[in-house]
Amino acid sequence: MITYPKAPKIQELGYELKVRQAMNRNLITVEPRTSMSKLRGVLRSNRISGVPVTRENKLLGVICVEDLVNWLMSGAKDCAIEEKMSKDVVTLCADEPLVHAINKLQQYGFFHFPVLERESGELLGTITREDIIRKLLQKLEIEYREEEIRRYRASHIFEDIMADKTSLIFQYYIVGQDFNRAGESSSALKKSLKRLGTHPDIARRVAIAVYEAEMNVVIYARGGEITVKVDPNQIRIEVEDSGPGIPDIEKAMRPGYSTAPEWVRELGFGAGMGLNNIKKCADEMNITSTVGKGTRLEIYVATKKESVSYEVK
Amino acid sequence: MNLGKIRQILRAEVIVGSSPDREIEVCCACDLMSEVLSCVPTGSSCLLLTNLAHSQTIRTAEIAEIPVICFVRGRKPESQNIKLAKKNGLVLLSTYFSLYEASGRLYKEGMPGCSGSRVS
Amino acid sequence: MKLSELVIKFDLKVKCGVHELDREIKGGYVSDLLSDVIANGRAGEVWITLQIHHNIVGVASLKSLAAIVIINGREPEEETIKKAEDEGIPIMVSKLPAFELVGRLYQAGISGTR
Repeated sequence: MITYPKAPKIQELGYELKVRQAMNRNLITVEPRTSMSKLRGVLRSNRISGVPVTRENKLLGVICVEDLVNWLMSGAKDCAIEEKMSKDVVTLCADEPLVHAINKLQQYGFFHFPVLERESGELLGTITREDIIRKLLQKLEIEYREEEIRRYRASHIFEDIMADKTSLIFQYYIVGQDFNRAGESSSALKKSLKRLGTHPDIARRVAIAVYEAEMNVVIYARGGEITVKVDPNQIRIEVEDSGPGIPDIEKAMRPGYSTAPEWVRELGFGAGMGLNNIKKCADEMNITSTVGKGTRLEIYVATKKESVSYEVK
Repeated sequence: MNLGKIRQILRAEVIVGSSPDREIEVCCACDLMSEVLSCVPTGSSCLLLTNLAHSQTIRTAEIAEIPVICFVRGRKPESQNIKLAKKNGLVLLSTYFSLYEASGRLYKEGMPGCSGSRVS
Repeated sequence: MKLSELVIKFDLKVKCGVHELDREIKGGYVSDLLSDVIANGRAGEVWITLQIHHNIVGVASLKSLAAIVIINGREPEEETIKKAEDEGIPIMVSKLPAFELVGRLYQAGISGTR
């Protein structure tokens, strides 16, 4: 028996894909009145081990090699297939997730199942282990290739551009007070960094720091801007807002110190850990603020530990 | 502990995504997202138990790479946030137990916490 | 179980309310959202939280909770301690994260709301 790999990705695809997408629509069927003596020819010429028996697209039963062999061994005279077929057929519906097909194949040990349309009961096709494996691999390959292409293009940008020094700059705009959209920039930044070939742990650190900064802008300011400068050796992030400013930065840095309004606390933020988290994630952090004008936060994260060179302003 | 067992212990419903064989290494019970961001160890497969079912819970999981969230007290996020979770490949569960009860039950069955300390 | 036993058994540091440790614990509650505790906390429960803001004392007093345990090694604000002392709410501190402290309390028979 085939054991299916227990990789989470495959399992997710098993739930995402439907039987309909993987089944074989090339239906070979026989009529109930077809004689047993003709069955061998049908099975052999199509290289199949069993075939559904139908009348006007309705599944009546299944006849397989084993039934044929039993009939031959018994030496009985020729008869209609409907007399020898199994009528108690285990079927699948086209709208079931593929994982049901995988489970049923393992449970019954059959090689194939007829696939029916749920509403009409009409026979649409058959599904085998091979069909399932082919579909899963195809889907995995497509997803893998799409991400690979993006990643390849992005990660070679530093080698492709000829210059004494290359940096990439991208910007994100933060809308203040829009709690639902907070985190969109950090999410986009994280994906972009990963495509640029940044080490996943570093991308995660940057994303956490920027997410906290973004949240601060959303909570306290009307809006702000994130500018990210990616060099081959380091990432520099600048978050600027036009908020109320921080009167006492030292106090604001104290763990647990917060001036967040109650509604923010009730949403699981504003407990006075944000700036600390940013500091923890950054290799260096500078914060400047003018009350009534706004706050400017600079974060540096080294991407290649051995060759860090901060541009200190 | 695998997801199937976690679901069984918490009698949890699957909101989105499902892979019963997925291994979960640690559990974090928390409603403060900053704490989640700073506590969950990098590269660990973590389950987040929380009271909060809004967009930022999903974002936090995405940013901190937490593969599974289980909302307590039967809470469930709105459909747009379920979509966001799905897009990021997260698994969302919902249990009727309180945060206390859910934590207690999982710990009793051997689930480790983020600090990894344990007394039996 | 009495609060005083809890302190010894789970290695808690008492920050205030030393004279109130005779209280019997009726159960446990863990949450970092004040509104949630106001809605669902029950009298006599030990409240486990990350919050250190002085508002936690008001909530504990309102719901007649037995005590507050602040986790992850966080320290309550001075104002919180002062207010708790006035209201007679014991505050303890644990180094453990919520999940692990709750797990141990649960194993020791302190149950939660279903």
